[in-house]
Amino acid sequence: MKTAGRNVASRDSLGRLGPLWSIFFRFGPPRWSQYVINNWGGQRLVIALPYLWLLVFFLIPFLIVLYISFAGPAPEESKLPYAPVATWIRDVVTQNEVGTQFKLLFTSYDYLIHDPLYVSAWGYSIKLAAVSTLFCLMVGYPMAYAISRSSPTMRNIFLMLVILPFWTSFLLRVYAWIGLLKANGVINNTLMWLGIIDTPIGMMNTTFAVYIGIVYSYLPFMILPLYSNLEKHDNTLLEAANDLGAGPIRSFLRITLPLSKDGIVAGSLLVFIPAVGEYVIPTLLGRTDQLMIATLLYNEFDRNRQWPTACAVAIAMLLVLIVPIMIFQHFQNKELKAGRK
Amino acid sequence: MQSAERRADKNKTKNEPWRDPHAEAYVRIDNITKRFGDFVAVNNVSLKIYKGEIFCLLGGSGCGKSTLLRMMAGFEEPSSGAIFLDGQDMAGIPPYRRPVNMMFQSYALFPHMTVEKNIAFGLEQEKGLSSADIATRVTDILEIVKLGQFAARRPHQLSGGQKQRVALARSLVKRPKLLLLDEPLGALDKKLREATQFELINIQEQLGVTFIVVTHDQEEAMTLASRIGVMNRGEIVQIGTPTEIYEFPQNKFVADFIGSVNMFEGTMIEDLPDRVRIKSDELGGVIYVDHGISAAPGAIVYTAIRPEKINILRAQPAETHENCVKGVVKDIAYMGDVSIYLVRIETGKVVRVTLPNVERMSDDERIGWEETVWLTWHGSSPVVVTQ
Repeated sequence: MKTAGRNVASRDSLGRLGPLWSIFFRFGPPRWSQYVINNWGGQRLVIALPYLWLLVFFLIPFLIVLYISFAGPAPEESKLPYAPVATWIRDVVTQNEVGTQFKLLFTSYDYLIHDPLYVSAWGYSIKLAAVSTLFCLMVGYPMAYAISRSSPTMRNIFLMLVILPFWTSFLLRVYAWIGLLKANGVINNTLMWLGIIDTPIGMMNTTFAVYIGIVYSYLPFMILPLYSNLEKHDNTLLEAANDLGAGPIRSFLRITLPLSKDGIVAGSLLVFIPAVGEYVIPTLLGRTDQLMIATLLYNEFDRNRQWPTACAVAIAMLLVLIVPIMIFQHFQNKELKAGRK
Repeated sequence: MQSAERRADKNKTKNEPWRDPHAEAYVRIDNITKRFGDFVAVNNVSLKIYKGEIFCLLGGSGCGKSTLLRMMAGFEEPSSGAIFLDGQDMAGIPPYRRPVNMMFQSYALFPHMTVEKNIAFGLEQEKGLSSADIATRVTDILEIVKLGQFAARRPHQLSGGQKQRVALARSLVKRPKLLLLDEPLGALDKKLREATQFELINIQEQLGVTFIVVTHDQEEAMTLASRIGVMNRGEIVQIGTPTEIYEFPQNKFVADFIGSVNMFEGTMIEDLPDRVRIKSDELGGVIYVDHGISAAPGAIVYTAIRPEKINILRAQPAETHENCVKGVVKDIAYMGDVSIYLVRIETGKVVRVTLPNVERMSDDERIGWEETVWLTWHGSSPVVVTQ
């Protein structure tokens, strides 16, 4: 004998308030939280938090800088370091606000492009960054190559040694170089003690010293992307090249080097982009007569209190570096896709 | 499946130079040993391979065949022994200076180059070849491997079979004296494998290159090879044509490794120059062999009978005293062209029998599970080995 099929337990057992409870569960707070958890929980929530952080602490300040860069120079009496871009227009008669007037001044940008000090600073910064990147590549590639070819145990040790300097203060490491390079520093004293030179070599406050500082500080940024690329290389490709008649040098030039192109670009951009805006190393080790763009920015901001100019410098630097940054992004995506395969 | 045999039939010593005691070996491997620390990968191997052969090194994983191949290519140096190619000692000669080319198991195509540049790479390393010469040779070899229209493609745009052919073209374009192939057909699906096997043989005959193929696939070895060298644990266990290896294995390992085999342990009760009788407890009967074997009196011998050489009878035959055993069908595997029967005989051993499905029969006409059958075989079928 079959019993009645339909399950009516829920309705009956809740008694007279049954219908109300079902409405509560179907449309009320439990449903809302379910909706939030379904749509905003998990992955979306995890991404939303850093997104918010970046929005508040990066995008909004950037927009503020952009805004100020269009402002006029600071008026004499005002406490603000710049003249406001947006002013409210008041009706002369009624003193009521009738609109907002935006006065965008491109004078700051114009100044940057034409002022000889700035032009030479641009050239110097970019040249310095480019040459440092080249040196970094020449020093870092053999190191990354050697690490990728060593046994797994040694590899981990080497990688740790590459990263170890980051555990100490960046500033202290640059100061250490002062101690090494200055007239009665370690290098000069050793060479004089050995009798190789009579008078100390002038190494401080030169472009040479800045090169040393930048290459030393940024080397891990070159080594790690290069290593990550080289480590993925297939050894049998080199064996195939050998088998086909190419010796070790030819195989390297025609197989390894082209295949490490992505790593080279990634490492180079990772060094070049920050190096253009380097402040500490040129200030401590570099020339006092030829300034880099970051030093000029600091001067405008702090000494001259010309915020519009300073902000314009920042925005201009971003524009200069936007193309390299986009290239870097493109290569990063390529590496990610290759890694996923 | 018998091109190797057809070749052999034409002119015995011309196509079977290993039978001629005065023939010069093209590749001579003398007492090669390779040690990695304490582990001996290749143990005192000696081989003679003749010009124009397709020689197959056949063995399971870890038997040393790949190590032997790599030593011939120059990627490893032997711990002791010498390799001679066309009379020249290869000791200390790096791979880029040997007249040997290798086709890798993973193909190792250069991903940043087109098919054309991949193939031209080897030619560019040679001196005295103009770019016009290189282009002609590349086009020619692409025609031979039937990849003419794929010259401008990159490796990641090719299918597995196409990649394999590019790898083959790249290794052949330099016209090497010796071509080494490491599991050439391993990554291909069955149909493609069969088609490529014949293509490979045709190309080899056309170009006259000596091939040494390393494989773990018996079918591949049986189809491709003019001779097979079976390897086990770093040693060559037997060398012979596919027929010799299959029909006349010299020991238990080879008999068991190639194809399937039913092995019965026993002792000889009659030992004559032209016939032998073996009493086997494993079989529960007597095996009559119609040829003489050389074994010490009273020695334990192993009789190998191939599954396709056993006949299944549903009624008890007239003579059951030898080469006959009764059993019950335990399992049947229908493979389409053949059926494999696993028959449990009275001693408990399971005998494997392969019967071709000659007639189309309905299920109740076929031999069924749990049916009592008699297995018989001809006196010429068993192979007796002593180790």
